[in-house]
Amino acid sequence: MKIINCPLNGPRNAQEFVHGGEFVAMPDPHRSSDAEWSSFVFLENNTAGVVREWWCHVPTAYWFIAERDTIKDEFIRTYDPSEVFRERVEFAKPPAQGS
Amino acid sequence: MALNPSTLPARSFLYRELQKFGAVFGEVNGYASAMTVGADAAAEAAQARSLGLCDLSALKRIGFKGWATAEWLTSQGVTLEDAPNRVYPQGDGARVARLSKGEFVVLGDLEGRSTLPDRLGGAWSMASANGCFRVPREDASAWLTLTGAEGGAMFAKVCGVDLRPHKFPNNGIAQTSLARMNAIIMRADRGNTLAYDLVFDLASAVYLWGALLDAMAEFGGKPVGLDAIKALG
Repeated sequence: MKIINCPLNGPRNAQEFVHGGEFVAMPDPHRSSDAEWSSFVFLENNTAGVVREWWCHVPTAYWFIAERDTIKDEFIRTYDPSEVFRERVEFAKPPAQGS
Repeated sequence: MALNPSTLPARSFLYRELQKFGAVFGEVNGYASAMTVGADAAAEAAQARSLGLCDLSALKRIGFKGWATAEWLTSQGVTLEDAPNRVYPQGDGARVARLSKGEFVVLGDLEGRSTLPDRLGGAWSMASANGCFRVPREDASAWLTLTGAEGGAMFAKVCGVDLRPHKFPNNGIAQTSLARMNAIIMRADRGNTLAYDLVFDLASAVYLWGALLDAMAEFGGKPVGLDAIKALG
């Protein structure tokens, strides 16, 4: 059984986790082009090497960030999202419609 | 005279399962709850010390979550520390389980002496507790307790986390998969007897009850009533 180290709960069986996709910065939804937005929503970089990903520990519904080597299929480090998000992410108000 | 569970407006969702074992019901907090299972009180107490499973779902419990929950609970007189996955006993017999930085379950005591769950439920409102939200644990989560010296060995059959007493400290919490269900497992020794409180999805209570009794059979484990748990101290 593969073990993943959850930052909240400690080492647990991989069965208790789900993968939440690549960790990428969200573009401003009101100011990005359609191509930028669809790339963010639908496309994966599919990097061979060390990537940052969202993972969720299902019994606690706890989301965290993991650095994982996709070539060796090894977890390098897992940590709480508060290490990255130190404050609430705000976007500017959308431009007025029709202007 | 024994209470017929059907005559009360609320009863344990496990009452039909408990009736199969000859449970005698009494009223606890308006719920029909199994007080004894089997005729001999001494044998039942011995069962609880060896390996017993008891339904505590009639007892008071309430949950809170949100970024400012710890501050709000502290302002209500709850004693807490920062470490998550720990149970913090309160002076009046209630216990507050810290599941994460911002999520808590407040558990009442067996004798019903503690007023903390009711008091917090009465004090909380959306307007007054900014950043703290109620989780209806009393309506959403079942509560069982598994007691007895064989508990650590039994859990090895149904849970990937090492819950043996020398590895899993008293008042420790493991939120994990138990018989393939998500559950909160809290070590809560009663007197000198090893015990674990299990809080999990209420709708799956009959499944987990059966799965645990099946795993316990190898060690001679059986259901016990509330009276046997109270006798542990």
